Amino acid sequence: MSNATVAQDTHAVRIIAPPQFPVTWEHADDEQLTWLHDRMHNPDPVLPLENAFWGRVYEAFNRATEAYDMPVRLKTRCINTYFYMAAKTVVAPEEMEAQRARADERMDAAMARLHSLWTEEWFPEIRSHLAWWDTFDLSRATVPELLGHLEETLSRLLRLWEIHFRVVLPSYIAMSQLDDLYRDLFDGDGAFGSYRLLQGFDNKTLEADRALWELSRRALASDEVRRVLEAYPAPEVVAEMGKTPAGGAFRDELDAYLREYGLRGEKWGLRYPCWIEDPSAAIKNLKNYIMQCDLNPTRERAKLAAERDAAVAAVRGRLQDYPGPVVERFEFLLKAAQEGVVLSEDHGFWIDFGATYRLRRVLLEFGRRLCEAGTIDKTSDVFYLTVDEVRASVAVPHCGDHRSLVELRRRDVEHFRAITPPPALGADNGPPPDDPMGRFFGKFFGGPPPAAESPDVLKGNAGSPGRVRGPAKVIRSLADAEKLRAGDVLVAETTAPPWTPLFATAAAIVTDSGGVLSHCAVVAREYRIPAVVGTGRATTTIRDGEMVEVDGDAGLVRICPA
Amino acid sequence: MTVAVASMHPGGAYSEWKGPAAGTLDRTVPRFGTRGHSIAWLGDRVCDEVALVGGKAVNLSRLAAKFPVPPGFCLTSVAFDRAVGRAFLGGEEPSAASLPPGLYGELAHAYRTLGERCGVDAPGVAVRSSALDEDGAGASFAGQHETYLNVVGAAAVAEAVAHCWASAHSSRALQYRRQHGLALDRFRIAVLIQQLVQADVSSVMFSAHPVTGNRDEVMINASWGLGESIVGGTVTPDTYLVRKADMATISRHIAEKRRMTVTASQGTREVEVPRFLRAQPTLTEDQVMEMARLGMALERSMGHPVDVECAYRARKLYLLQCRPITTLAVSR
Repeated sequence: MSNATVAQDTHAVRIIAPPQFPVTWEHADDEQLTWLHDRMHNPDPVLPLENAFWGRVYEAFNRATEAYDMPVRLKTRCINTYFYMAAKTVVAPEEMEAQRARADERMDAAMARLHSLWTEEWFPEIRSHLAWWDTFDLSRATVPELLGHLEETLSRLLRLWEIHFRVVLPSYIAMSQLDDLYRDLFDGDGAFGSYRLLQGFDNKTLEADRALWELSRRALASDEVRRVLEAYPAPEVVAEMGKTPAGGAFRDELDAYLREYGLRGEKWGLRYPCWIEDPSAAIKNLKNYIMQCDLNPTRERAKLAAERDAAVAAVRGRLQDYPGPVVERFEFLLKAAQEGVVLSEDHGFWIDFGATYRLRRVLLEFGRRLCEAGTIDKTSDVFYLTVDEVRASVAVPHCGDHRSLVELRRRDVEHFRAITPPPALGADNGPPPDDPMGRFFGKFFGGPPPAAESPDVLKGNAGSPGRVRGPAKVIRSLADAEKLRAGDVLVAETTAPPWTPLFATAAAIVTDSGGVLSHCAVVAREYRIPAVVGTGRATTTIRDGEMVEVDGDAGLVRICPA
Repeated sequence: MTVAVASMHPGGAYSEWKGPAAGTLDRTVPRFGTRGHSIAWLGDRVCDEVALVGGKAVNLSRLAAKFPVPPGFCLTSVAFDRAVGRAFLGGEEPSAASLPPGLYGELAHAYRTLGERCGVDAPGVAVRSSALDEDGAGASFAGQHETYLNVVGAAAVAEAVAHCWASAHSSRALQYRRQHGLALDRFRIAVLIQQLVQADVSSVMFSAHPVTGNRDEVMINASWGLGESIVGGTVTPDTYLVRKADMATISRHIAEKRRMTVTASQGTREVEVPRFLRAQPTLTEDQVMEMARLGMALERSMGHPVDVECAYRARKLYLLQCRPITTLAVSR
């Protein structure tokens, strides 16, 4: 850190916040922690209700780490509208080794039966929570019923996110440990040696993408449907479809798709309308797809799976020379990681998006009522209130006017939206420890990007292999999805799972955030397109339309001279 | 601790071994009319003939009757005689073709039989020479004979055998024999071919403390993979100390084991131990006990404190080598 000075009485180096991003610390201890901005999940400012939501999410994270006997807890804080978190160890140094051993044992026990834990315990429970929300009639509930529903929503949310972290921790740790072992054994086998053993498995993200692709093939089968998709802007497509029988039939198919896969907004968070509320993003993808010639996702998957099986067989051959404990550990981690790579996407479909959509509906019902009462101007302004404010204003109708409060907070958010938040605040305690946990965090979040020698070269993490050259399209939200054409390089801050239908159109992906185990990188490998993730500055450096060369193996992006 | 172990094996696994006590065996004329045997299996009566198979093989063969020694066979001095005079001994590059066709057929057949005994088609084997007069003049033959590990396939075994023979006739070997006043013309050599145990854990054990000389303790050094990394001193092994009187583990030091020897195509190589495994104990408490009991039984059997090499593969214990400790400090 260049803007750092050595703090007194500690080994940590205090990070000086830039003047436009002032920080005051409520507790002296907090300043000793390293507060990281999670740009991958929360690149934008968070609204007060979202802050409460994320606070609950990481409370659930702490429950999961406690359940796994892991010595780490996360503290979270909204600083200048951006969401930061800091890891804290909760065990005395002398007890650390014993605690780690217990945690390893617990983690191994979960890794040993990831798939059956998911199918027999976690997934049925997730479904039961989602069904509970779906049977509640929000619009007809009395105020006390709605308030009760909110309380139960919040407590079920805590439980769902505890399940979330109980799933993802062993899933990702298995993948990361398999990669650690693979590198120990077969050093020099490229950045993706271990990840080839995990490719070609289906998951909910790919399933949703495939269903959308198949919908585009059905659109091509009807001249009328194709004409509507080609000729009308996305917001008008649905209405236009209704005007012909073939269009009407297609609209019904689209509705069925949205009911199944459309409970996803464009990013993690509460404020983003889901596709079932606004299908524009799905339609923009369809408009891209009908311009592309046939690809067969099922055949592509089979190819990936065959490659994977051949790679696994080759590794098993090489392992015949090794002692039994090495082979046993490899097989253990391979099974867990192959189950984990599927769960690393599936959990998000049901919890990150499925459950969040239900929460969003509950909060929007509060918003609708507050709007009707004149407490706020727009339904979605509810996200600018705190949970307590929501509770209080619904309980006593017409008692408050929060419009100026919302306006104040909106201005605050817009002010900070224009400011790039520092990646870290508090104290720089050095790189994460080189232990299995530290390596997993590094592979998931990506760590700080290394500096490049040349201003025309961006360094990031190798995300998906291959090398490709194409015009860059900087996509800041799915509203821009239409400008992406086949052969373009998609440049984005982060890509949440609902972005991956774009991967069928893009020639390569470049992101600001994330590591080799980020959603973006995992799915790019399934699409077999090059990806460089975690460059830190792609969206602010690369201009729309610029020619770029993406080297997914080296983690390099070169901006080509015009 | 490692230094002590390594220093006892300056020239490799067998350098300190002096063979059975002098005078117990007639080392020139084969008994039982075994003149015709080119192949002798460990544990068979024929393999008790020092004049046929050399002291090292005789010792292993006797151990094989009572202890879990990996299966193997010898190409005897008779086989050597059948090959003597062939061109390679005059300087031609040793190869499978150095064996007379009939002898090659017998070797290939024995190798197949060994495969059946091990339950694999083409087992990896250790090929090493077993000189017939190793202890004849108190000479240790340190570094004079070759060892080939993980040789796979009959042709490769035959080639390794030819190399063993040739090395016994190298100018260096002849010089050594001259210096030690050993016969230059009547010299013959046997070659031992034994299943290579692809060890999960290898161990060097002393049925008396090799440093203090304390005969009431068994010391076990153990590390991952084949034994070469322990014997060669490139790894700090785990060390377990067992008190014979009550079979209590009195000390247990788990080392950070960074290097291990694994098999490679027609040989072995030393690699880094994967990080997850480095600080893990190599032996369970039960295995420490099993090994200590083996060491004590060998000591009783040999009538002398012993230095033992053994290995675990798939939780089964194998005895690879056992020899009296000749350098034991005087204790008590």
